Amino acid sequence: MIQDLVVYLLFMGYAIGFMLGLATLFTWVERKQSAVMADRIGANRCYLRLPFTNVRFVAWGLFHGIADGAKMLLKENFTPKTYDRLCYNLAPWLAAVPVLLVFAVVPFGGTLAPGRLLPQLHPFFGERSYAMQVAHMDAGILVVLSFSGIGILGTMLAGWSSNNKFSLLGAARAASQMISYEVAMGLALISLVATYGTLDLGAMVRWQSGTLFGVLPAWGIFTQPLALLLFLTAAIAENKRVPFDLPECESELVSGYFTEYTAMKMGLFMLSEFIEIVVVSALLVTMFLGGYNLPFLTDGGFVLPTGSVWHLSHPAVVLLQVATFLVKVFLAGCFMIQIRWSLPRFRYDQLMAFGWKFLMPLAAVNLVATAGVRWWLT
Amino acid sequence: MTGAFIAFFSLLAVAFAALVMTVRQPMRGALALCGHMVSLAAIYAALGAHVVAIFQVLVYVGAVMVFMVYTIMFLDDRDPSCRQLFSRLALPALAAALVVAGAFRWLFGELPAGAPAAAPVDIFTFSAFSLAFMKQYWFHFELATVLLLVGVVAAWAAVREGRDG
Repeated sequence: MIQDLVVYLLFMGYAIGFMLGLATLFTWVERKQSAVMADRIGANRCYLRLPFTNVRFVAWGLFHGIADGAKMLLKENFTPKTYDRLCYNLAPWLAAVPVLLVFAVVPFGGTLAPGRLLPQLHPFFGERSYAMQVAHMDAGILVVLSFSGIGILGTMLAGWSSNNKFSLLGAARAASQMISYEVAMGLALISLVATYGTLDLGAMVRWQSGTLFGVLPAWGIFTQPLALLLFLTAAIAENKRVPFDLPECESELVSGYFTEYTAMKMGLFMLSEFIEIVVVSALLVTMFLGGYNLPFLTDGGFVLPTGSVWHLSHPAVVLLQVATFLVKVFLAGCFMIQIRWSLPRFRYDQLMAFGWKFLMPLAAVNLVATAGVRWWLT
Repeated sequence: MTGAFIAFFSLLAVAFAALVMTVRQPMRGALALCGHMVSLAAIYAALGAHVVAIFQVLVYVGAVMVFMVYTIMFLDDRDPSCRQLFSRLALPALAAALVVAGAFRWLFGELPAGAPAAAPVDIFTFSAFSLAFMKQYWFHFELATVLLLVGVVAAWAAVREGRDG
């Protein structure tokens, strides 16, 4: 049992490091991408200086994330006169923690056998093996939907308890938008469940390690392209990012539901937004882009369409899978950030009409078509 | 270990349930109800019924409570009734609660002392849940939806009658 505890503590540590590390990196990516698109240099002022020398490490402005974190921790923690101080203080946590919990069911690698990874560990672990996932649940997708629903409570509490009209309007917009787009997202995911025949995210990745027509990787992007578009659109809307950032649009509502928050409480809202980019990218990769596997890669090595097998050692497969997942999530996140700098903001009535009159019917049609194809195939 | 986990979340569920009844501020009452439901979900998860635990959070916290909080958000919180501690019905309600607790004690007192040992916990998987639902409980579920619909129509008729005088 102690072996299980050690492994799952390591998995949890890796998952938290993965999310916080990539979220911090995405704050830099957002700045640099906007700069590149606007023909500017972008973040380049922060540096680390070697003590007692003038040697400075700018590293393309990568240290701006650290500076931001330090600034938020050290700034004055201003608290307005609110209706309810408990709710005001609870809201940032309710917004940030559920996002972190969603990642628990996402597999970030295949099977890990510590005794085979390092021979020195074999006496302790023996032949035990673990799926590289913090919580292995057969209804993983439902866990994703459950916890993402709790995040709405944090947003509403923040807007309500701030005692500010802008914040209340932002919270009302956020809640309406998140509830509306959750319907389309749920329908898109049901189409995916009908295709894979499972709710388990690990089983979905294993399903995608096969091939279509003998050559094409059986990734969700090829079997359910419309569901991919629907999921991506709904996920960006749920994350309240441009072009769906109506709940916090600066020109109308200052910062919407978190206008009255300062210091690290505001930092938690900002961080939860970037962590959500990481989590949505991880889900996108897991459900549509083959997860932690490269094309034709399985836990035993590469199985090519020609039938030839290229066996790889266990440590090589584990490292390849973990690295593949990391790179895929990073690229998917960069793509989502790119959308922010490419599309203009909707009007609010357009946003709601788009969700209810376009996305939801399209998701329903996709579900019916998927059910039809499944029926025809069986 | 599982017993301690269940005992902890049972206590938490009772504490949150008590808060739901005693807290006068509507938003705090709703949050206490959320806490109560999450505690129940934790108990279900510890008993191996992961599907029921997930639905407890998905349906009650993620859907029902979100709509309740959405409504409370637009209430006027400065209403003096939100600051009153207890209504006149607090003492009768407390007496009724004691009677119910006594009834439970009397019922449990009737149980034989040597109750059968609990079966080992099996994980109630989603496929097992789906099969049980479609084979055994489908009719009950559909019947409940019809009854709920009747209830909604009755409530709508009652409100309309009250409004029209």
